[in-house]
Amino acid sequence: MTGGSAGRDRFRTGEQAGWWMLAPALAFSVMFALYPVIDSFVLSLYRIFLAVPDLGQTFVGWENYRDLATDPVARQAFLVTVGFVVSSTLLELLLGLGIALVIHEQFPGRGWVRATALIPWAIPTVVAYQMWRFIFNDQYGLANLFLFGDRVAEYVPWLAYPGFAWLAIVLADVWKTSSFAGLLILAGLQLIPDELYEAARIDGANTWQRFWRITLPLLRPALLLALVFRTMDAFRVFDLVFVMTQGGPGGATQVLQFYGYKALFTEGRMGYGAAISVTVFLAIFLLSLFYIRAVGSKLFEKEPA
Amino acid sequence: MAMMLCLSSIAHPRRRWLPALFVVILGSLLWPASAMRAESSATHPKTVLRFVSWKPDHPRVWQEAIERFQEAYPDIEVIREIAPHSSTAYHDLLTQKLKNRDASVDLFFMDVIWVPEFAAAGWALPLGDRFPPSEQAKFLPATIQAGTYQGQIFGIPSRIDGGMLYFRQDLLKAYGFGPPQTWEELARQAETIVAGEGKTRPALRGYSAQFKQYEGLVCNMLELIESNGGRLVSEDGRHSLLHSPQSLAPVRFARDRIMGRLASRAVLMYQEPESLAAFIQGNAVFHRNWPYAWDVSNDPKRSTIAGKVGVAPLPRFPGGRSVSALGGWLYGISTYSRQPSVAWAFISFLSSQEMQKFFSIHAGLAPSRTALFNDAEVLTAQPFFRDQFAVLRGTSPRPRSPLYPALSHVLQRYFSRALAISNLDLAAEAAAADRQINRLLKLTEGNT
Repeated sequence: MTGGSAGRDRFRTGEQAGWWMLAPALAFSVMFALYPVIDSFVLSLYRIFLAVPDLGQTFVGWENYRDLATDPVARQAFLVTVGFVVSSTLLELLLGLGIALVIHEQFPGRGWVRATALIPWAIPTVVAYQMWRFIFNDQYGLANLFLFGDRVAEYVPWLAYPGFAWLAIVLADVWKTSSFAGLLILAGLQLIPDELYEAARIDGANTWQRFWRITLPLLRPALLLALVFRTMDAFRVFDLVFVMTQGGPGGATQVLQFYGYKALFTEGRMGYGAAISVTVFLAIFLLSLFYIRAVGSKLFEKEPA
Repeated sequence: MAMMLCLSSIAHPRRRWLPALFVVILGSLLWPASAMRAESSATHPKTVLRFVSWKPDHPRVWQEAIERFQEAYPDIEVIREIAPHSSTAYHDLLTQKLKNRDASVDLFFMDVIWVPEFAAAGWALPLGDRFPPSEQAKFLPATIQAGTYQGQIFGIPSRIDGGMLYFRQDLLKAYGFGPPQTWEELARQAETIVAGEGKTRPALRGYSAQFKQYEGLVCNMLELIESNGGRLVSEDGRHSLLHSPQSLAPVRFARDRIMGRLASRAVLMYQEPESLAAFIQGNAVFHRNWPYAWDVSNDPKRSTIAGKVGVAPLPRFPGGRSVSALGGWLYGISTYSRQPSVAWAFISFLSSQEMQKFFSIHAGLAPSRTALFNDAEVLTAQPFFRDQFAVLRGTSPRPRSPLYPALSHVLQRYFSRALAISNLDLAAEAAAADRQINRLLKLTEGNT
């Protein structure tokens, strides 16, 4: 490493050191993020039935994707998923905003309330959803006990109705993750300087005006962040459905990820299952691109004044 | 390889600790696995046999069976890996191991519907040499057929399961009814009894069975459809027949007469345990289940109706015959096991006359060996085996295909939608399911 000016040499070694320091993280990302994605994509171009090796592993190009586009089960799963994403995310943002506003206020016992609000988020996922399954159980569920007491004959099998089963998974998700959205929004609330409120108060703004004119506009970055996190999370929902309904009744709660899981792990249709996974990945990828393009600029550039 | 090249091209001596650290981190990630493997083989001088099994319904009985084996073979240690109770979850876990050619699996259970898949995929070892036709002849033919694929045997039947009709002997007697012969008769009897008992038992329903969107739904619907002369798949296994009138009528019956009427709508979420719970709590007049339900419903510790239970063949539709779906589990040996003969010793011990008798008496499981249905001790413990022998011998298998898991998903979705959505166009839905299944069947044509 001789020759050239001393400064350039130092720059070079500095750059090299930088790459070396990045190398472990880079290697891990390539191994555990990039490689699986590429591998899934390649796999999705093949027709593979694990249980019938005689059929071989034929390259079929876009066949799996064409099948997916005309598959009525996939269409239903897509609609179920999108419906779930939109409704659960909206409800979680609204509730999260409510939670954040409450626990941002100064009042005695605030620490306790903050801790309590986070309990749903802290309960292990499977346990929480198992609990919701029990709540809606037709014989010993809490929902029936609260509504009908000991009028056993009127007990309703909630999860046996396609529409309600779908609503139940939305409800369980909202219950579980609203406080996470609330936490993100609370962080945004704490960034808003108190002086703004004081000034507004001196100008005679009432509570509503202060909320609409100060809180909400300045909270937008935090709200957007919560929106991004929740949509992406909701799009790849799996555990909730696996625990609560197994996709039933009549496929009413079968989300795309669960359909993909069944194709990959139960049916051994590796190519088709991979095509479903790649589709979900692409949907999330495009959504995040959209978020970054359309709203991300506001998120990262426009700092609160 | 690329990593090694990078490491060797390091120029600056002072930076050498960085890649070294990287190697240490990677190594520490990989090390424990290899270290643990070495350790386990060092501390067990015995031959270790690994048996992947579901979570048993009767853990103590199983514990004792394995202890007996280890007494008989002191130099073999059996390690059981317990998978989930649900058949599908167990299937997914087991096949995941077999796909990876995992040598730490020696033997496993196969559900009767998995044999074509395990055989075609090359996961299960053919056992014809060890289990010759002379031996096979001692087992119920339906169970041997279930273990056979393309003329070779892959599974040794551990027991037989078949759907049967349990009923409240006390209630039927009080209303002067005998066991129903047809579904229509069952419906009328149940309606009469529920109307009569309704005031004192508001939670009483006519029927409880398994209609959740899962494998058991296929068994329940197969029994209904075939008892009307319909079929799921044609005899030659090439065409799906869900749209045929004989196959459609029973689905319509289940939707219009059973869901929310004879049975609580909750059966749409019931697997075996929930539906049996409704029966043993005294909330159902009739109940469809496998043979193990007899022991449970007559156990005074668990059941409120012990001693009041009757059992009969499932009803039929006029002009049809009573049909019981074949279920049950077979022992199989993994192709990737390094000690198939040790695994065989374990299987032949557990499926011996003596051990099947043990399981029948203590766990209420119906044996797969024909001779045990005449065994005095077995019949004293499980008297209903005598009457149900004909039912079990005549059980009807689900479609046999290496792609059965995919077929089953189509069937489950069709049946679940048909039952859960009351205004669905059944004929169109059945035709759509037929098309999906025919496509799958075509893939393996000439393979069945």
